[in-house]
Amino acid sequence: MIDVRNISKCYADTLAVDDISFHVGKGEILGFLGPNGAGKTTTMRILTCFMPPTSGTATVAGFDIFEHSLEVRRAIGYMPENVPLYHDMRVHEFLDYRARLKGVPRKSRKKRVQDVMGKTGVADIQHRIIGQLSKGYRQRVGLAEALIHDPKVLILDEPTIGLDPNQVRQVRTLIRELGGEYTILLSTHILPEVEMTCGRVIIIDHGKIVAMDTPGNLTQHIREGSRLSLEVRGPGQEIQSAIEKIPGIVSVNRRGNGVSTFSVEVEKGRDVREDIFKTVAGNRWVLREMKTEAVSLEDIFIHITTHEQL
Amino acid sequence: MVKIAPLFVKELKSYFYSPIAYVMLVAFLAFNGFIFFLIMSALNDPRMPREGSAMQLFFGGTIFFYLLLSIVAAVITMRLIAEERKSGTIEVLMTAPITDWDLVLSKFFGAMAFYLFLWLPTLSYVAVLRRYSEIDLGPLCSGYLGIVLLGGMYISVGLLCSALTRNQIIAAISSFVIITVLWSLGIFRSFTTGTLAHGFFSYINILDHFFESFSKGIIDTRVLVYYMSSTVLCLFLTVKIVESHKWR
Repeated sequence: MIDVRNISKCYADTLAVDDISFHVGKGEILGFLGPNGAGKTTTMRILTCFMPPTSGTATVAGFDIFEHSLEVRRAIGYMPENVPLYHDMRVHEFLDYRARLKGVPRKSRKKRVQDVMGKTGVADIQHRIIGQLSKGYRQRVGLAEALIHDPKVLILDEPTIGLDPNQVRQVRTLIRELGGEYTILLSTHILPEVEMTCGRVIIIDHGKIVAMDTPGNLTQHIREGSRLSLEVRGPGQEIQSAIEKIPGIVSVNRRGNGVSTFSVEVEKGRDVREDIFKTVAGNRWVLREMKTEAVSLEDIFIHITTHEQL
Repeated sequence: MVKIAPLFVKELKSYFYSPIAYVMLVAFLAFNGFIFFLIMSALNDPRMPREGSAMQLFFGGTIFFYLLLSIVAAVITMRLIAEERKSGTIEVLMTAPITDWDLVLSKFFGAMAFYLFLWLPTLSYVAVLRRYSEIDLGPLCSGYLGIVLLGGMYISVGLLCSALTRNQIIAAISSFVIITVLWSLGIFRSFTTGTLAHGFFSYINILDHFFESFSKGIIDTRVLVYYMSSTVLCLFLTVKIVESHKWR
């Protein structure tokens, strides 16, 4: 659906996007992750034909962004980062206007507006003036606006920014429901969101793609082995030394003294849990908790953006 | 091109959503009413013999006319593109399947429609005059035509200034200045002697257009060309500027 080839964008003397290429298949939900200023918004603006790339090409739904800009714009529903809306219009008025603008045929327009308002949960407030709505509702109106002409592709720039946890969950559920029917490209800082909604993730830093894979695969790449988290009652330093002696342990980090928490890095492929238990019990210390820590996307993100490319 | 209709309707409606429309309407009519009153008093005063009918003087006979129009054009166009750029709604507009011409023309026609709406109540002056004397329809129609054409030119200048900046005040002031310069340039006609310069300044002398042609019922095609070509030029430049924002 979206095919990006060697896109670069230069702003005066800054290279905002540096030779990126990726592909988004039909019905896929792709997450765009990256620190601030990485080039996510710029890439999205290029795809939505708001600005042309300095070099490279891209096609959306088979249309080239340069040659067939109007068709590309018809195929895309875009929600910019700050969700700009006309504050002096009412919700239904605004959506009707946008539907007209995007070429929704007159016969189906009314129904379409009602459907979309229902889907995004703004049907109750459709007569309110947009300027008087809360951020959460405005975001939903923005999403409704992006959906109004039934585009093949949705491009959402930080769709859950500034929302409270309830609203975030609702938007997330909505996005998950939409995937499959629509092809979605979304950018965000909020990593758990990506883990929960996206099938694939692209991590972008300083304009370059530094990782592109499913969240699961990325996890595997990062962690050579696994990590255990322990809570033990006993003399902290001694416990640490004892555990460090166990074969297969890579490193031990300790926090606290009377009851300490240990973060233990284990070599790949080794299960040292029983050895740890025996060591701790053998020394008459009390093992209060032992669990395997999953690697979060946040670890991957931080690792990747502060280390070399994956 | 078909996209202009919804955009145009929205632009026109936008005028009435904000208090500016109503304030402007009241101020415009109050001012015009006052001018009309002054003209009538001047004409009725036997001590001051005057050439021309009331409507003739009304259309471009007094300096108030030009001053008022400069302000009106500057104020009704200042927000058109500047506000969109400032609030970010330009991004949503430009990622919709519309062309740059659609965008600019819809704003232009929206502003023109509002401008004409402002002038509509002045027809009541005509109704008032008719009760007391004969109205010569010819000069009346050409007078209003002059207003439409002049308005078109001023509004396209205002739109151009609005596209150049994000700040509405800057847009308003620059359009006011440019428009004022445009109608005062004609003065140089008296200062020049060479035929080329003299001819040029005569051609662009707006005051003359109104004094000599429009208010007398004469529709001079050279004058028509002047207004229409300037309007088209400004609109073209505006489209290019809107386009250029994409290149940066």
